[in-house]
Amino acid sequence: MSLKNFSELFVDLDSSNSTNNKIEVLKNYFLSNDPIDNSWAIYLLTGKSNRRFISGRYLKNLFSQIYEYPEWLIDTCYLKVGDSAEVITLLLKNKTNSIKKKLSNISLNELLSKTIPDLSKLNDKEKNFKIKNMWETLPEDNHLIFNKILTGTFRVGVSIGLITKSISKLINIDEEIISHRLMGNFEPSIESYKFLVNKNINLQELNSKPFPFLLANNIEDKIFKDSINDFQFEWKYDGIRLQLIKRLGNVSLWTRGQELVNESFPELVKKMSHIKDDFVLDGELLVWNFNKQIAYDFSLLQKRINRKSPTRSIQIKYPIIFIAYDLLEINGRDIREIKLENRRIELEKYFSKWQIKTENNISDIFKICDLIFPKDWPEALTYKEKSRENNTEGLIIKKKTSIYSSGRKKGIWWKYKVDPLQLDAVLIYAKGGSGRRAGLYTDYSFALWKDQELIKFASAYSGLTNIEINELDKWIRKNTIEKFGPVRSLKPEMVFEISFEKIQISKRHKSGIAVRFPRITKWRKDKKIDDADSLENAYKLMKKIS
Amino acid sequence: MRTKQEYLIRYKDGDLYCELADIWIDPSKPVKKALITHAHFDHFTFGCEEYISTKETAILLKERVGDNIKIKTFEYGEEFKINGINISFHPSGHILGSSQIRFIFAEEKWLISGDFKLQKDETCKQYEIVKTDYLISECTFGLPIFKWDESNKIANDISKWITNSPEKTSLLFCYSLGKAQRLINEISQTNFKGNIYSHSSIYKMNNSYKKLGIDITDTIKIENKKKIDELKGSLILLPPSLSKGSYLKNFKNIQTAFASGWMSIRALRKRSGYDKGFPISDHADWDGILEVVKKSEAKNVFFHHGDSEALTKFLVEKESINVLFFGK
Repeated sequence: MSLKNFSELFVDLDSSNSTNNKIEVLKNYFLSNDPIDNSWAIYLLTGKSNRRFISGRYLKNLFSQIYEYPEWLIDTCYLKVGDSAEVITLLLKNKTNSIKKKLSNISLNELLSKTIPDLSKLNDKEKNFKIKNMWETLPEDNHLIFNKILTGTFRVGVSIGLITKSISKLINIDEEIISHRLMGNFEPSIESYKFLVNKNINLQELNSKPFPFLLANNIEDKIFKDSINDFQFEWKYDGIRLQLIKRLGNVSLWTRGQELVNESFPELVKKMSHIKDDFVLDGELLVWNFNKQIAYDFSLLQKRINRKSPTRSIQIKYPIIFIAYDLLEINGRDIREIKLENRRIELEKYFSKWQIKTENNISDIFKICDLIFPKDWPEALTYKEKSRENNTEGLIIKKKTSIYSSGRKKGIWWKYKVDPLQLDAVLIYAKGGSGRRAGLYTDYSFALWKDQELIKFASAYSGLTNIEINELDKWIRKNTIEKFGPVRSLKPEMVFEISFEKIQISKRHKSGIAVRFPRITKWRKDKKIDDADSLENAYKLMKKIS
Repeated sequence: MRTKQEYLIRYKDGDLYCELADIWIDPSKPVKKALITHAHFDHFTFGCEEYISTKETAILLKERVGDNIKIKTFEYGEEFKINGINISFHPSGHILGSSQIRFIFAEEKWLISGDFKLQKDETCKQYEIVKTDYLISECTFGLPIFKWDESNKIANDISKWITNSPEKTSLLFCYSLGKAQRLINEISQTNFKGNIYSHSSIYKMNNSYKKLGIDITDTIKIENKKKIDELKGSLILLPPSLSKGSYLKNFKNIQTAFASGWMSIRALRKRSGYDKGFPISDHADWDGILEVVKKSEAKNVFFHHGDSEALTKFLVEKESINVLFFGK
């Protein structure tokens, strides 16, 4: 199997925005290539190959030397392209076209297991000769891959999740199992690929599987007719929902998106494995302010989510905590059919046992959620209103007699979020600021959807940090559609959470509404413009509060 | 050495201007007399008293903006005189009717390249090498990272892109005038045998080309009410202005691509928001610009429309050609 197939895979993945499409493309690649090449492909695509064999600078110098090309010219090109490997690839088009040598049909395996690692055994002269020879014998389509692997800059928009899904589809086995198999150090080999696509599931794999999550519904008025004593009240944290599983001594952390995130939170895995019992806990992962005993903002958690094997200093800078609110299984006994109030008793019982009996202190990373005990519904409302103070989103209200079923079943768990005078809007215009903010685009206009059109509804100046302002400014300059004097119209792409004090009808605005004191409360990088709110939502909000 | 004011052609208020003939080249604001190199809108402005262009450019312009303009036309190579200056149009290979403009005064030759390309394009006349003393050249793609593939290779890539997703409707965005017609003819020679649809703005230009005797493969004009099934596996050509906004909601299950020279850079490709980019251009690449500079035998070169720094330095260092600056 040749490198060419992998180059084609790269181009296909790189030029597709559709997840389904990418899964299909990956599946077909795995079907039509050798196990060994497949294992290398997975290794590369999951970003495990970031070793730099030679630097971008070295590559540029070498090109300049071989083809008598002025270095300043390569540097000028670099400014436009922003990637050494790609610059050299584009420049090679000009050079290798005219050189007619027999083209090499090297396999991905040979390139990665031999040709490239062997470079480090050569002296500079031999190394340069080898690279030149590769440039002149590799088919043009393979240059980018080659240069990127050389410089350790191979990256493409494929997540482990995508690989997991495509393998799962390929062999028709649950994604959780594949996730588990992909955990840890994936070393490319025939065996590692065969293990991945093995159709027989072993016991340990089965043991790591999470239960389907029980989800909360938005609160409905009818609940206020019920007795307050029927319910258990908890704060609603804005973190990552996790099932923390320990079975047969192995700990696995599962998100609601069926992602295994052990590698991102190794300190939690380690601590929890000291506990003697086996269990399945349902809870929330947060970055925790241990002084104030409240959660930090979700944005800090984001710094941890996508970072595998975080360094010690990252672990200290963004300390995490797992707050358990439910116990689903204990020492192999599934207790989901037991009433919530009794599960809570079990949870408390085991937690205090673990606190005392576990060798290492676990309470610096694991606790169970505090309960709130409002006397009546008006007091529950007061608690909800106060939730902003402790960085929670409101209340979760759970029926004490409920069992842990799956999915979003009504009448079991309710979420009672603090009334947000908030809308997610799309940034459409920016205007230059003045004074301290001169030279930066700091005055923004935001829009909401009306059918398929974005209608401006508010302007805001405050709420972003200086770092965010700089970042956004750069983005604005690159994504301007048109300039009208100091104002730029922008490519609709960025979504922000806009908070305000009041919302009312206004004939003066095209949107038909006016908001008071609008400010940016969150840069929603996790949202696409299609996720932004519509004007209709704004009208609903207005109705709701009046 | 002469001062800027003494050049036959110079910049005035950001546009190319020949004072002796009191004539402007592709002016950006209304003037008395304007030479128009080709019919793209960024080279044309309303309100000039008189326009002068090739016959094809004049017809294309009138199709686009109406008959309400006064245009005098000349054939390629036909010389005409204004205030003692001999002026003539020569094919520039950019689009149908596009031209370089040569000025001869007191045995001194000046050549304005206009937008040009050297690549083969059967929808317009091939670029003609014209010798000159002074060359004013465009340099939109004035870096060596730009090296165009043969257009039939790109057309084959496009064909593969469509046929690999037979369940999808493929939307290819490209400029309505020139690029679209070139692509239609190239793509119809590939293995792709499905339907090609044109947006009305493109369809109109296809007809204009046909009227001017250029053989453009027939396409179907796209109607808003087309059935989704009918479009599956087809190619639809659209102007880039429709790529953002609600127009795309007319289609289901689409894949999008943009045909432009800029698409050879991955970062631009990613940022463009299209699924795919096909690097094909109606401008010259780096080698093309260098070839024209050399073959024109110009001793003095000016660059405009692009980043000229790298080209300038390269020509001065490597080819010892005098590269001059207008100043704006």
